[in-house]
Amino acid sequence: MALLKVKFDQMKRVKLAQGLWLMNWLSVLAGIVIFSLGLFLKIELRKRSEVMNNSESHFVPNSLIGMGVLSCVFNSLAGKICYDALDPAKYAKWKPWLKPYLAVCVLFNIALLLVTLCCFLMRGSLESTLAHGLKNGMKYYRDTDTPGRCFMKKTIDMLQIEFKCCGNNGFRDWFEIQWISNRYLDFSSKEVKDRIKSNVDGRYLVDGVPFSCCNPSSPRPCIQYQLTNNSAHYSYDHQTEELNLWVNGCRAALLNYYSSLMNSMGAVALLVWLFEVTITIGLRYLHTALESVSNPEDPECESEGWLLEKSVSETWKAFLESLKKLGKSNQVEAEGADAGQAPEAG
Amino acid sequence: MAPVLPLVLPLQPRIRLAQGLWLLSWLLALAGGLALLYSGHLLAQLWLLRTFLAPSCPFAALPQVALAAGLGALGTGLVGAGASRASLDAAQYPPWRKVLGPLLVLGTAGGGGLLILALGLALALPGSLDSALEDGLGTALAHYKDTEVPGHCHAKRLLDELQLRHHCCGRHGYKDWFGIQWVSSRYLDPNDQEVVDRIQSNVEGLYLIDGVPFSCCNPHSPRPCLQSRLSEPHAHPLFDPRQPNLNLWAQGCHGVLLGYLQDFASVLGGGLAVTFLLQILVLLGLRYLQTALEGLEGVIDAEGDTRGYLFPNGLKDMLKTVWRQGGVAHRPAPEEAPPEEAPPEEGLPEA
Repeated sequence: MALLKVKFDQMKRVKLAQGLWLMNWLSVLAGIVIFSLGLFLKIELRKRSEVMNNSESHFVPNSLIGMGVLSCVFNSLAGKICYDALDPAKYAKWKPWLKPYLAVCVLFNIALLLVTLCCFLMRGSLESTLAHGLKNGMKYYRDTDTPGRCFMKKTIDMLQIEFKCCGNNGFRDWFEIQWISNRYLDFSSKEVKDRIKSNVDGRYLVDGVPFSCCNPSSPRPCIQYQLTNNSAHYSYDHQTEELNLWVNGCRAALLNYYSSLMNSMGAVALLVWLFEVTITIGLRYLHTALESVSNPEDPECESEGWLLEKSVSETWKAFLESLKKLGKSNQVEAEGADAGQAPEAG
Repeated sequence: MAPVLPLVLPLQPRIRLAQGLWLLSWLLALAGGLALLYSGHLLAQLWLLRTFLAPSCPFAALPQVALAAGLGALGTGLVGAGASRASLDAAQYPPWRKVLGPLLVLGTAGGGGLLILALGLALALPGSLDSALEDGLGTALAHYKDTEVPGHCHAKRLLDELQLRHHCCGRHGYKDWFGIQWVSSRYLDPNDQEVVDRIQSNVEGLYLIDGVPFSCCNPHSPRPCLQSRLSEPHAHPLFDPRQPNLNLWAQGCHGVLLGYLQDFASVLGGGLAVTFLLQILVLLGLRYLQTALEGLEGVIDAEGDTRGYLFPNGLKDMLKTVWRQGGVAHRPAPEEAPPEEAPPEEGLPEA
C-alpha cells in the first residue's frame, strides 16, 4: 500500500509544478541568505582571532557557506525541472535523472539539519578556546615591543571598551599578571623594588587595572590603581563599589555575543531546512504523479502521487534485499571464478 | 499662439519616451528612498549628539526637510513609473488621464520646492555648527563633575562615551581639561593639604589638576596610559609630555564632530542634487508624454504624429488665462469655499 497517496488531475499537477517552481526560486534566495550569514560569522571570528589564540574552529561558518552554495545549486536545478515538468517532451530528458536527484536532495536535507544542530552546539568548544586565548592575551599585554605581540595591548583595550568587560573572569585577573612593562618602571624607587621582591617570580604586580576597564557610568572619576586599599581614596569602599569598573569578564561577554549570533543563525537555518523538506516532498509527489500517468497521449487524465510506493517497513525490506543481492552477486562471481580456477589447477 | 518648446512625437519615439521614462522613474524612486534613509540616519546621529549641540542650533532642520523631499521624490518616481507603464497600454491609460495633470503640478511645486529648499539648507546650515558645538561642548565639559545634579547627571557618561567612540579629548585638545574642575567636590578630602592648596591657588576656588579623565587615553600607546601630572616633564620615567606621543588622543572633539557632521551634510547635499536632476527629467518627460497623448484624444496606439509641448500657448498668454480664471472664480461668489487654485507656474524650474 502506497504511503500518503494523493490524487492529481491535470489542473492540480500544473498548480503543483508552478508552486514548486516559485518555492525553488525563493529557496535560492534563502540559500544566498545562509551563505551571507556564514560569511558574516567567519568575518566576526577572524576579527577576534587574536584573543582566541588563532585556534578557533571555523567549522560552523564554513559549513553554512557550503550549505548556502549547495542550496542555490540544487534549488535552481529543481526550479528548471519543475518548469519543464509540464511539457512532456522536455520532461522526458529529465526523467532518468529524477530518482537519483531526489536521493541527493534527501541527503542534502539531512546534512542541513546536522549543520543547524552544530550551530546550537558549538558553544562549549568556543568557551575553552576563549578562556585560553584571553589568558594568553592578558599575559602578552605588556609586550608592546615584541614583534608578533606588539598589538595585543591595543586589541585587549579595544575589546574591553567595546564589549564592556574587564579581564578573563573579572577585574581581579589583572592583579595576578604583570601588565606594566619593565621599561616604564623606575627601578630606583623603593616601592617598585619592594613589589618585585614580594613574589617568587620577581614580577611587578599591582592591585590596579588598565584604563579600558573603566565604566563611564560611574559617578566619580575612574579609580584604576590601589583598588583594594580603601584609605588610598576618599569615601571609597572596594567591597560595595560596583560602578567603577566593568564587572563582567570578557570571556562571558564574548561567549554571549557569539552564542546569540549562532543561535539566531541556527534558527534561520532551521526555517530554511523546513522549507527545503517541503520542497523535496512536493518534488517527490510531482515525480510520482507524472510517472503514474497511465496514458501518455492523454494529458488530461488523472494520476496518483505518493511518497513511497509501499509502506515504510516494506520499502526498507526491499532496500535491504537489493543490498543483499548486490553482495550475493559479487559472491557468486567470486565463487564462479574460484570454481573456474580450481579445475584448472586441479 | 505657438506652444512652448514643441516636440513632434510619432509612435516609435513615444514608446521609447515611455520606456526611458519608466527607467528614470524607478531610478528617481531609488534615489528618493536612499535620501530618505540617509536623512533618517542623520536625524538619529543628531539625536544621540543632542547634548553637545546648543539647543538653538538650526542644523536639525536639514535632515527633516531632506526627509520630506526624499518622500516627495519617491512619490514622484512611483507616479512616473505607473503613468509611463500605463501609457503603453490603451486599457490602463484612461484613469491616469484625469489625475496626471494635478499630480504633475504637485510634483513640480511640492517636490521641486522641497528639494530646492533642502539643497539650500545643505549649503547654508553647516556654517552654524561651529558656534553650536562651541556652546554645547563647553557646557558638557563644565557639567562633567555634576553627576548628582538633576538635568546634568548624564554629562559625564555621554562625554566619556563621545571621547571613546570618536577618539578625541577635550574641546580643542587635552589641555582644556586643565582649566575646569572635572572631579566632583564630593570625592575630595577636605582634610588633605594638597587639595586645600589647589583650591586656594585660584580665584574661583576650583580644584584644578593637570590630569585628564580615562576616556582621553589612546589604546595605541605602547605604555599604560598616563592620566595625571601631565605638565611635569619628569614626573613619569621615559615620558616627556612636551614631545608628540601616543599617550592621549591628539584631536579635540570640536574638530572631530564638526568634520563628522559636515561630511554627513555634504553627502546628503550630493544625493539631493542627483535626486533633483532626476526629478526635473522625469517631470519634463511626463509633461511631454501627457500632452502628446492628449493630442491623440486618449487613443494610445494611433500611428499618427502628435506634438508634445510644455505649455499650450506662450508664457504670457498662459499667465493671463490663469489670472482671468482666478478672477472669474473670485468675483461672482466671494463667500463660497476657496475657488479652484490656479497652478503656481512661477515655481517651475525650467521656465
